[in-house]
Amino acid sequence: MSERGDILGRLAPLVLMIILAAAALLPTDAGLDFANADASAARQLAKGLDGLPADPLVLVGFDPDLGTYAEIRPTVRTLIADLLERNARLAFISLTPEGRALAITELERLRQAGIAPARLIDLGYLPGAEAGLVSLADAVAAAGRDSALAPRGLGGRAPSLAIVIGGNDLGPRSWVEQVEPRAPDLPIAAVVPAVLLPDVQPYVAGGQLSALVATPRDGAAYRASANVGDFANVAESDGPPVVSVFLGLLAALGVLGAGVWSRLIDLARGSRAGEAA
Amino acid sequence: MSGLTGADTVATWVAAIATLVVLGGLLGERRAFGWSQHLLAGLATGLIAVLAIRELIVPRVVEPLLADPGSRGDLWIGLGLVVTTAAAPWIPRAAAAVPISILVGSLAAFALGGAVIGTLLPQLAASLARSEDSAVSTLVTIGSATITVLVLVGFLHGAPRGRLVGTASAAGRWIMLAGLGAWLGYLILSRLVLLLDRLTFLTGDWLGLGR
Repeated sequence: MSERGDILGRLAPLVLMIILAAAALLPTDAGLDFANADASAARQLAKGLDGLPADPLVLVGFDPDLGTYAEIRPTVRTLIADLLERNARLAFISLTPEGRALAITELERLRQAGIAPARLIDLGYLPGAEAGLVSLADAVAAAGRDSALAPRGLGGRAPSLAIVIGGNDLGPRSWVEQVEPRAPDLPIAAVVPAVLLPDVQPYVAGGQLSALVATPRDGAAYRASANVGDFANVAESDGPPVVSVFLGLLAALGVLGAGVWSRLIDLARGSRAGEAA
Repeated sequence: MSGLTGADTVATWVAAIATLVVLGGLLGERRAFGWSQHLLAGLATGLIAVLAIRELIVPRVVEPLLADPGSRGDLWIGLGLVVTTAAAPWIPRAAAAVPISILVGSLAAFALGGAVIGTLLPQLAASLARSEDSAVSTLVTIGSATITVLVLVGFLHGAPRGRLVGTASAAGRWIMLAGLGAWLGYLILSRLVLLLDRLTFLTGDWLGLGR
């Protein structure tokens, strides 16, 4: 690559970031809106929440990863606010150290927002990966049973719903594989980043997950329809800036298209050279 | 950054500087970016150590054993296995292999058993072609079954096959490529949203623009 091309190659990411940052400053309703799209996933999640009993205990499997949590954070916080508005008690548990770090952050945020301590149960970090999940499932299925690994904070109550915040290795798939067969009465809903959609979508179609919110579009549709009532300070209504997402995807398509174009040019040159020979 | 406490302000500045250092890696500034990677690795290691001590070893092992040493045989066995693992360099290999074997074996058993019961069998059942309430749903199940069969045939590398199986195998590989392409699209979207989150943090929370 020439020196000029090298400089341009280095500056291109900076130029793209400046354009994306400038676009993010535009009003959120600048002609594009994720929430106006298909809202079936949001409706399915809301239907599951509507079916909860009064004052439910909800188990929150909190295992997002640092790399993708930014994508689902607004939806997760709105979901927590929605559950609090429905008088739910939330029991947080993490099976990965990364998920535990993020759970501590969210729990501290909820405490600072003035949520009553009795509404938040911190079950902490559950070690053992799949073995820990099995222990948790056994504790849920036979509430009150003693186990070295199972969380002791459930107080003998069986949760009405499990919400899995995914992104890490032990996400909705592990919950479906380990918890669902052992505690079939516990419905499992999930919020995961878009990159995990192909991994998790079959479980929704198969009925093993009661609901799934997995894309910025689904998240925006859910946030637009959720009633957070007195807990607006807990929710986070702003998702990713839509215009910036649009421009970023155009740039990604441009890069992919340039790669395909240069490959086609090389192929054409190669065939012409072959003919000349 | 109005309305923030002093600690919040310091945290925002530290986060902004760390974000700039990481984004600087995109522009070729590798040295500071390398330091930030070391910082992340150190913080992650420290977090795991603190978690292990505060949320596992003390409350789930030490405290129950001190409270009632006679009735927790399971924890004594577990503690023995941990000590054996820690002493692995100085004890016979056959003894050191016991805790590792139990660890690997039990994890593999749980993972494989769960995969068969929770994923393989239900998903195979879901991909069977069957009659549904509507014609569209029936066609969807037929399409799912066809795609599943073609992709499975696509894994027949090197096996003797005729023209029909060869064509099906090629179709299965193209379907897999299409699936990988769709997954790449989701990956790009996820990473783009992460980049935008950092950019809006810099412009909004740090510089106070557009708020």
